[in-house]
Amino acid sequence: MNDSLFIEIGTAQRQKHGEDCFGDTIFSKKIPEERRIISILSDGLGSGVKANILSSMTTRMAMKFVESNMELSRSSEIMMDALPICQIRKISYATFSVVDTELNGKTRVFEMDNPPFMLIRNGKPVNIRYREISSAKWKNRTINISQMTNQEEDRIILISDGVSQAGLGNRQYPLGWQRQGCLNFALEQIRKNPHISAHDLANAIVKEAISKEVDHKAGDDISCVVLYFRRPRKLLVLTGPPFEEKRDKEFAELVADYDGKTVICGGTTANIVERELCLKCEIDKTSFDLKIPMCSNMEGVDLVTEGILTLTDVYRMLKEGIDTDKNNGATRLAKMLLESDKIDFVVGTKINIAHQDPNLPMELEIRRNIVKKIFRNLQDKYLKEISVRYI
Amino acid sequence: MEKIKVRICVGTSCFVMGSAQIQSLEFNAPSDIADKIEIIEERCMGLCKDITNKYNRGPFVYVNDDLIEEATYEKVVAKIREKIKE
Repeated sequence: MNDSLFIEIGTAQRQKHGEDCFGDTIFSKKIPEERRIISILSDGLGSGVKANILSSMTTRMAMKFVESNMELSRSSEIMMDALPICQIRKISYATFSVVDTELNGKTRVFEMDNPPFMLIRNGKPVNIRYREISSAKWKNRTINISQMTNQEEDRIILISDGVSQAGLGNRQYPLGWQRQGCLNFALEQIRKNPHISAHDLANAIVKEAISKEVDHKAGDDISCVVLYFRRPRKLLVLTGPPFEEKRDKEFAELVADYDGKTVICGGTTANIVERELCLKCEIDKTSFDLKIPMCSNMEGVDLVTEGILTLTDVYRMLKEGIDTDKNNGATRLAKMLLESDKIDFVVGTKINIAHQDPNLPMELEIRRNIVKKIFRNLQDKYLKEISVRYI
Repeated sequence: MEKIKVRICVGTSCFVMGSAQIQSLEFNAPSDIADKIEIIEERCMGLCKDITNKYNRGPFVYVNDDLIEEATYEKVVAKIREKIKE
């Protein structure tokens, strides 16, 4: 599956000034069996709790319908029937945009009343033609359906009307920032940094929208979803010496042959790779820390750290958040793990005799256990693709 | 005069036994020895794994060619002073 695309989803939201909860809801789901990703942005009528309930209901319903491939006009009618009707405007109101994409690049977008999605390819906006359908029951509502085949480096951006109407009424933007303004801003960001992550781009758009507002106070709920189609960023983590010494060579060569970033986690492991591949490895004194042993620099390897203590601290940070004020081996490794999409662990299972000394602190865990905890966390909490091999 | 080489093992078990404190020699060594030493950190030197039990416990530190077992900051500083006198 090396040639399949990876989709990074980044979202950013800000609630209307003075409200406690978001009136917009964003909901994304991976369906691994079908190699499919569905992402939904819904904007509820008004703001605050009421809007939050409307938009949450809409996203959940839409997700169920899209997931089960139900016919669209029928399912949107059910949704509109189910939502409570606004007393003043006599409409049941929640807008939505749904992106339903398969990993080979086939994508469908359904939209109702949200600002139209943007597709950016090769640094230029692309207009996709859409088909309109409307239901007999709710005459004033239409759904736009677009279809496309996505390529590497495509980006799809969904915004709520809080973004396009940002700054509405102030002198500089009498009609708001507009979709075009947002699109230009996104293009500018991509031009400056062609590989900007979905997360960073979504946050930049929301931040910029807020800066347009009067007194920098959000006049409506502001939400943005970015889907970024790209090659998966791969990372290989080697940790621990192989059980049998005769496999050292095979083990070390995994580093040389890998088509992605590589990390070596463990002093003895680094010594093996250094010896087998005849690479030079030197301690990196800038990573000094009282709690975590220093990293090393090795040619052709992106990071070399100590083993168990570093891994234990990485696990703690995956649970509690990364310490931003440090630059030790553990924070570097944790950042690299989170920046990658596909992570391959190769775990040597030789037991380190020195670690079995009862005088050592209890925290010295067995490598297999700590790696197991880390990869489960990466899988469940961060939705990374993980493979583990014991050697 | 050639600098005295202080090689500190920073492998996992030496590290938890206290070699991090010895590493601080690099930044705040006593003034009489500060400019006479060179600190070299080494990833696991493998001494802890010597199951024939030739060695005691870590942290292991070499001052030139002399091995200090169960090293502490004081022990290492004392050894360095001894070496300077030689």
